[in-house]
Amino acid sequence: MKPKFKQISPLICEFEWESNVSDLLLEEQLGFKSALEKDFSAELCELRMGFKTVSVLFSKPRIDFEIKNWLESISLEKSTHSLPEKIWEIPVCYASETGRDLESLAKTKKISVEELITLHSKPLYRLHFYGFLPGFMYLNGLPKTLHTSRKSVPDREVPVGSVAIGGVQTGIYPSSSPGGWHLIGQTPLPLFNPSLDIPVFAEVGERIKFTPITFQEFEHLKRNPKPPKFR
Amino acid sequence: MIRDIGYMKILKTGPGTSIQDLGRVGFAQFGVPSSGTLDLRSFAWVNHLLQNEESDAALEICQPGLNVKFDAPTLICLGGAKVAVKLNGNVLSNPSLLPIQANDLLEIGSMEIGAVLYLGIKNGFQAEKMMNSRSWFEGITKSGSAKKEQSIPYFTIQEIPKMTASKVKLDTSWLQEKIIAAYPGPEWNLLDKDSQEKLESSEFTISDLKNRMAIQLTELLPNNIPEMATSAAFPGTVQLTSGGRLLVLMMDAQVTGGYPRILQLTEHSISLIAQKKPQEKIIFKLKKL
Repeated sequence: MKPKFKQISPLICEFEWESNVSDLLLEEQLGFKSALEKDFSAELCELRMGFKTVSVLFSKPRIDFEIKNWLESISLEKSTHSLPEKIWEIPVCYASETGRDLESLAKTKKISVEELITLHSKPLYRLHFYGFLPGFMYLNGLPKTLHTSRKSVPDREVPVGSVAIGGVQTGIYPSSSPGGWHLIGQTPLPLFNPSLDIPVFAEVGERIKFTPITFQEFEHLKRNPKPPKFR
Repeated sequence: MIRDIGYMKILKTGPGTSIQDLGRVGFAQFGVPSSGTLDLRSFAWVNHLLQNEESDAALEICQPGLNVKFDAPTLICLGGAKVAVKLNGNVLSNPSLLPIQANDLLEIGSMEIGAVLYLGIKNGFQAEKMMNSRSWFEGITKSGSAKKEQSIPYFTIQEIPKMTASKVKLDTSWLQEKIIAAYPGPEWNLLDKDSQEKLESSEFTISDLKNRMAIQLTELLPNNIPEMATSAAFPGTVQLTSGGRLLVLMMDAQVTGGYPRILQLTEHSISLIAQKKPQEKIIFKLKKL
């Protein structure tokens, strides 16, 4: 399905799909993104992904009928990408010491802490795009039972590496920041390194698996950082 | 050519002083904000007068009250807000290009008109470059904002050039324009007619919640737009929160957001709104593409 096109300013335009957030839509978005990169390479300043959008920042003003014509001319079947197979393992210490809302969240959900940990660490989460903070992954796949509205009063400081639940999403804070999500654990893994050419390890489309670790393992990995494992 | 390094030492500063250039383009894919100068117009003017490269880094000052000391000769230029300035205790009227000698003390006082001042320097400040930019951003560069006793490097110049351009008068009249021109944002059409009209016909006030990430406006606007999937946001995007607050995103804003995007400011209007102080009024004017 082709996205709707919207010119927002002389330099910004957006393509939006009406379908629900899914792997299939992400495949379409990625295929569409590479078509844009190929056909507009000289004028593309930046592409920003959303759950249902691809937004473009051009380096010089564009006329919208040119893009409309382009949109009509492309064939998307051919450009559809299959998503990568790689799965990253992210060690998480689910404990009160590392996730201050773990117990209260389990209580609200009327499940045990162990059940909450199993529910959260069992699925494979799909990385759709980065945003919010440098290195913050927007993940899809949080089980319905764990959907929880954000805190009405955000925390002033969420510690770096915090694994949290907010709305229909789960995510990891790559740096400490204010935040309104419920904190259930922490990863010792550094998620963003600005001195690297590619400052993150996971690529859009790859999957994330949270692996529970003990507090001792967490402390040990904090002191002796290891690169993330994948399969 | 061997160039000697000099340092500008911060003796006193308010919050919100930072090194900025044109920002980092191409890193939003990793969640990295654009950063870069809030008022591109004044920043470009300063580099132009200094005969610098367009992308040379300058000091951006967002609060009155800054004292700095230079340890080696250079040429600086002030632009943007109209401010009270003293060099070695002497009041300067209409300062623009200023030759600096070793141990000169520059004091910036109150901001009469405008809210952002640029202190440009010959060849630009040589702060560390991360991801193609010297713009400070916590977590990317070592510093997020300038602290007392901090020293920022620059290339010293051996000969102070003859000051033919020193009488260039800084134009500050545009800083008092009230009209903020904006294109309808992607969710403009989801806004009900009343809210659209209110947005176009009412005055809005800049609140105290103003920083490099966003400017919050005081007045509320009813918001009946349903929740939406997270999508891209850019500097100049105006978001409407679920509580009806208007947030004008600035250069350090996050690259994606979940609130409806009802307007997109023009480049000139981004510079202009950055120069507005809390309590100042603005009027949005919708612009057709």
